[in-house]
Amino acid sequence: MRHDFLDRYSRLDSPVHRAPAAVKLVVALALVVTVVLLPSSRAVALAAATIVVLAAAALSRIPWRFLVRRVVVLEPFVLGVAILALFQPGGWRLFLFLVAKCTFGLLVMVLLSNTTPFSDLLRVLKGAHAPALLVTTLSLMYRYLFVLVDEAQRMKRARASRTFTPRRTWAWQTMATVVSQLFVRSSERAERIYAAMCARGWR
Amino acid sequence: MSAAIEVRNLHFRYGEGTHALHGVSFSIAEGESVGLIGPNGAGKSTLLLHLNGLLPEVWTGEPSVLVGGNPVTPGTALEVRRKVGLLFQDANDQLFCPTVFEDVAFGPQQLGLSEAEIRERVTRALAHAGIPGFEARAPHHLSVGEKRRVCLAGVLACEPSILALDEPTSSLDPKGRRELKELLRGITLTKLIATHDLELVVELCSRVILLDGGAVAAQGPTLALLSDEELMLRHNLERPHILRHLHPH
Amino acid sequence: MHIPDGFLDGKTAVAGGILAAAGLGVALRQARLHLPPRRVPLLGLAAAFVFAAQMINFPVAGGTSGHLIGAVLAAVLLGPSGAVIVISAVLIVQCLMFADGGISALGANIFNMGVLGGVGGWAIYRVVGRLVKGLFGLILAASFAAWCSTVLGAAACAGELAASHTAPWSVVLPAMAGIHMLIGIGEGLITGLVLAAIARARPELLRPDAATEPRRSYGAIVAYGVSIALGLALFASPLASRWPDGLDRTAERLGFKAKAVATSIPAVLPDYEMPGIHWSVLGTSIAGALGTVVVFVLAWLLARVLVPMADPPDSTGPGTAS
Repeated sequence: MRHDFLDRYSRLDSPVHRAPAAVKLVVALALVVTVVLLPSSRAVALAAATIVVLAAAALSRIPWRFLVRRVVVLEPFVLGVAILALFQPGGWRLFLFLVAKCTFGLLVMVLLSNTTPFSDLLRVLKGAHAPALLVTTLSLMYRYLFVLVDEAQRMKRARASRTFTPRRTWAWQTMATVVSQLFVRSSERAERIYAAMCARGWR
Repeated sequence: MSAAIEVRNLHFRYGEGTHALHGVSFSIAEGESVGLIGPNGAGKSTLLLHLNGLLPEVWTGEPSVLVGGNPVTPGTALEVRRKVGLLFQDANDQLFCPTVFEDVAFGPQQLGLSEAEIRERVTRALAHAGIPGFEARAPHHLSVGEKRRVCLAGVLACEPSILALDEPTSSLDPKGRRELKELLRGITLTKLIATHDLELVVELCSRVILLDGGAVAAQGPTLALLSDEELMLRHNLERPHILRHLHPH
Repeated sequence: MHIPDGFLDGKTAVAGGILAAAGLGVALRQARLHLPPRRVPLLGLAAAFVFAAQMINFPVAGGTSGHLIGAVLAAVLLGPSGAVIVISAVLIVQCLMFADGGISALGANIFNMGVLGGVGGWAIYRVVGRLVKGLFGLILAASFAAWCSTVLGAAACAGELAASHTAPWSVVLPAMAGIHMLIGIGEGLITGLVLAAIARARPELLRPDAATEPRRSYGAIVAYGVSIALGLALFASPLASRWPDGLDRTAERLGFKAKAVATSIPAVLPDYEMPGIHWSVLGTSIAGALGTVVVFVLAWLLARVLVPMADPPDSTGPGTAS
């Protein structure tokens, strides 16, 4: 599954988890940017950075199999684009270096997202004076993501239990109806949330 | 002493023309616990939304709702929302912040309280709602019952004098229902509880208002009204089992 | 189309970041000025909706399936600024929560899918919608615009990869644009189907006042236009720069030959020395132009199927309310 919805490791207890969210975000960004800017000759630097990140991963107490699986699931796109790098002089070396850099980036972000609850990252954004409307949107999006994905699952299941022909064209129509229903319900829910916000004094 | 809530001849029509409330009138004294019952579509939720000024969206004519003696108007709506705490039917709609703490703190924040006061109110409200220590939890990890308690805490944190609840026990398992019932029993604020759960009404409410088709069909003491089998059936309800062995007064 | 970390070099990532920040800044300002308070939660819910909708499988063949991106869908339902905010929010959450899309590439991704895909797509939708009225026009315009936005986003993505010297322009443009010309058909089809379904269920959601801004906000249009033009110039410049390169090399060879042979050689020789560079890009551009016409016709047919001619023309449509 491309996205892990269970979010079961972001609230564990480990030195990495306990580190302040702002620090983790800045460090992650710094690591990624540094590696991205590395020319292909600096393989040693990349290796060193990777060791640091792997050490952090070990400290975080998140099961290795989970981390590896998360990274592997996102690799296909990386490989698909990296293959295009082969079509130029020095392609093989570039290809390998690209894959290494990308995988490093994936590992850093997977580690960040699984040791830091998103609500903490939101608070960092709020503290950094990100625009209020953007923070509210991200906040509500995070809150209702799971609700909507659930709703979509339930609607899909309900449709599937009344579908007896495997025709693909019908499947598209069905899925489109599910998506449209999802929007209609979301917009109605947005109205109710507005009412709930007003009920507690929002202006 | 003015009534906690007074509703006088309240009419309401939805934009498209559906006449939802017809001349509803009743009053609730301070400290009373009143049940609002009726079949689906009777207008219970619509009525509750009038108590804190969320409806009507367009104001015309005389105000029909008075809270603590003061009329509810666009000008007084914000003040009224502090006094009347409304618990919505769907906990998911009311619990809209990324963590429990932030959600319960929402009301106090809107009131402009200091950080320390907010923190104190949140701790107290969570304790009152029976879920102390839930501050850091994420809403999508909570059960229906827990979500409902968080919503209750969020309302209590605003320190209202009146509590209006819309189907508080719906979707709860028997244990959750029992716990919520005890919780509500322990809250001494004026309460108006809209519900299908007639046993809850018998246990918590001294008086009952029966709404059907947007109008008050009957109101009176709980036991008398709910034991009237014929009245109950006429309005798509029924006499609760708990009263089967009691004689009507 | 989410570019991971490591594919874009420093200058491209920064350029993408600046363009994205500009576009998002304009969008937020528009929303702050014109979005009524009761619609604020709708942005957040719409972002969650787009995310959830992106996860729904539309089966294609043998186990593969298509997915919605939703930029034009969001633009039709929320207006261009709403679309930018919603798509940006989706990309930010996907990056920070699911490592989908690199954090150094976030700017470029937001520009490709949000600004270019959302606003560019919306512009195409409005233009087509003015030409054809009614719900029929809306479906036609939206499906066509959705295809265009997918291809445009892919072209910009290709430009960014080429500008970072990750892959040669002559390979990456045909590859990305080509694949997305096919994927875009799915996007157009799904967008059309979904909008038709919404029109059946709650037509009032398609009315212009569901959008985040008044119909004439020239300042914002100019700002978006500038940022899109800049982006295209920056990322599509390899297209322009290949010609001087090719010409330079040709001139060099001519010069060499001139040293050895007489000077009476025609000034323009066909560039057969570098067939890969010119022809693949040229070929892609031609395919794109043809594709545009074909997809427009397909979108017309789709709208014809979804909106029975028996219905009286009603006032839902992008061109009718001005």
